[in-house]
Amino acid sequence: MKLNKFLSMIVCVTLFSLLYVYQQTEILRLAYSEQRQYAVFQKLLDRNSILRYNIEKNCSLVNIGGSVSNSSDFQMPDKYQLARLVPSKEGVTFTQGAANKETLLARIFGIKRQAEARTINP
Amino acid sequence: MYISNYRRKAEAVFLFFLAFLIFCIARLLYIQFFNSTYLSGIARKQHNLFVELEPVRGVIYDCNLKPQTLNLPAPSLYASPNTIKDSDKERIIAALPGILNVDQDYLRGRLARKKYFVWLARKITPQEEAAVKKLNIKGLGFLRETKRSYPNTYLASQIIGFAGLDNTGLEGIELYLDKYLKGAPGWAIFLRDARQKKLDIWEKMVLPRDGNDIVLTIDQVIQYIAERELDKAFKTYHAKGASIVVMDPHTGKILALANRPTYDLNEHSNVSKDQTRDRAICDLFEPGSVFKIVTASAALEEKRVGEEDKFFCENGSYRVANHTLHDHKPHGWLTFREVIEESSNIGTTKVAQLLGPNTVYKYVRLFGFGSKLGIDLPGEISGMIKEPRFWSKTSIGAVPIGQEVGVTALQLVSAISVIANGGQLMRPFVIEEIRDKQGKVIKRTSPVLIRKVISLETASRMTKILTGAVEEGTGRMAQVPGFTAAGKTGTAQKLEPNGAYSHNKFVASFIGFAPAEDPLVAIVVSVDEPHPYYFGGVVAAPVFKNVAADVVRYLKTKQSLAEDLNANRRAR
Repeated sequence: MKLNKFLSMIVCVTLFSLLYVYQQTEILRLAYSEQRQYAVFQKLLDRNSILRYNIEKNCSLVNIGGSVSNSSDFQMPDKYQLARLVPSKEGVTFTQGAANKETLLARIFGIKRQAEARTINP
Repeated sequence: MYISNYRRKAEAVFLFFLAFLIFCIARLLYIQFFNSTYLSGIARKQHNLFVELEPVRGVIYDCNLKPQTLNLPAPSLYASPNTIKDSDKERIIAALPGILNVDQDYLRGRLARKKYFVWLARKITPQEEAAVKKLNIKGLGFLRETKRSYPNTYLASQIIGFAGLDNTGLEGIELYLDKYLKGAPGWAIFLRDARQKKLDIWEKMVLPRDGNDIVLTIDQVIQYIAERELDKAFKTYHAKGASIVVMDPHTGKILALANRPTYDLNEHSNVSKDQTRDRAICDLFEPGSVFKIVTASAALEEKRVGEEDKFFCENGSYRVANHTLHDHKPHGWLTFREVIEESSNIGTTKVAQLLGPNTVYKYVRLFGFGSKLGIDLPGEISGMIKEPRFWSKTSIGAVPIGQEVGVTALQLVSAISVIANGGQLMRPFVIEEIRDKQGKVIKRTSPVLIRKVISLETASRMTKILTGAVEEGTGRMAQVPGFTAAGKTGTAQKLEPNGAYSHNKFVASFIGFAPAEDPLVAIVVSVDEPHPYYFGGVVAAPVFKNVAADVVRYLKTKQSLAEDLNANRRAR
């Protein structure tokens, strides 16, 4: 009886030990796998930062102005020169009126730099 | 006899094992009680790795939340000389100079050190990292660091400043607000595996506190417009230096501030002090005729003159004590309005003589000259104004026309803002908000009224006079198509080292605001030593005109778009 008790205790302790070892190896395995995933995540994050920087640099006024102002005068548009997009039930729509709100003075004294093509409705 | 012999042997073996057991127990006790600290220290070193966790440096935004700084990943190369074989060291010395910008002697010196960690190159490019990795040399490794980068290169360089290799601010706001931007580093104790590689299992960790973000009052678009126009004038007139400040006169917000010469923030290692200096707040100069706005405002406020009061301008030559004053062209009788419009030195001196030195000095100080305005940027100077008791007999013919005084461009823009803002002097500021990474505002700057300098009525009368100076006076080249502008030109002779006024070195300046009836911006332009033209009305006024035209259009469009957006929100 005593031997049985002893053996079952030994089995229990062994099982618990194995479980403990398994748990530890599993923790390490997960750590390694998480480390690999984190490296990928970090790489993506770094690429995102670099892309963001490139976008910011390319759309910077210094960059745009540098390439445009050499060939022509680069100036701020007036209100009537802006096209407005207004959200509606159909989605975002273009308001014709806003773009054509050129003042009488601007129309009389304004110098058109190029011919304006007009669409003809069939 | 045989049994006795056997027993003796068994006892001997037993005793031997007993002694061995006692020895083991004694050794264990010794290790446990006397050696445990030392040995557990060694074990800790083997199993644990102390890592400092770098905080993310805060971002600097403009007023539209466009980032002016970004943190880019930058790997840094290190070596462990104690673990590298001599043959590998020779390979490193031979191969790295071709990949990185380092010389062989530098590498030889670094690798000769008896250390486990030495930096070989900090913050290299991803391409360089890939090339080094291809060499596959044991003992070389990379640590991930971040590098401060500036997408707008030279834009607002003297305001933003730059951070050094260790992400510590060295110039401008990067230096001034370093304590907010840098955050606090954290640390962690990670486990290491048998190969001494770091495992992402930590025993203890203190998270780093990321730096706060800074929101500036600077508008990137206005800053670009100001820099573009200033750059044109700087190059056209081969000037020694130039400054421009664009300010919201009602709040004191600095919308743009630029200086020439300037530099690219991404290449700050080879810049001179001349390029990094924020001339608009650090440089003192004699303002010349732009200073007449102070004398004119004082005369109107004190009710000593009216716009139509006439002054005889002595046909261009007037003696004050032992000094003869001249006008740039001879004038006879001029009304007070015309004195300012035509920028007559003699007429202005006669107005100042009516007021007296004490009143002139009082208004000079009230307009903010001779003391710091308290802008939140490093290096502001107070300027130089002599008290009337130190004035010479000629000072009454010099101070009212902007000689014998030293001012900064910032003080000039604040002074013209007084007139644009109904007589109120506002404290100029550049830092709008400080926010944490969650967007919570930690500190917000509100407009501060320094003092009421002149009455609303005087301000409005001065606006009319300054509008006349642009419409019909010396500032004609500052006329902006589409709206009226008010302003004053200035052409000041520079002092030679011997104390005499130079005949070929001038400071051309223009101060003004637009639109005159409802000012949106106040602008000061100063160009140091322009050639061949040097008149403020020729050199600085066109810069004002171009900047004011674009900036007013931009601000009005921005305003109307914001109104549309609000209307749409309400409609929804």
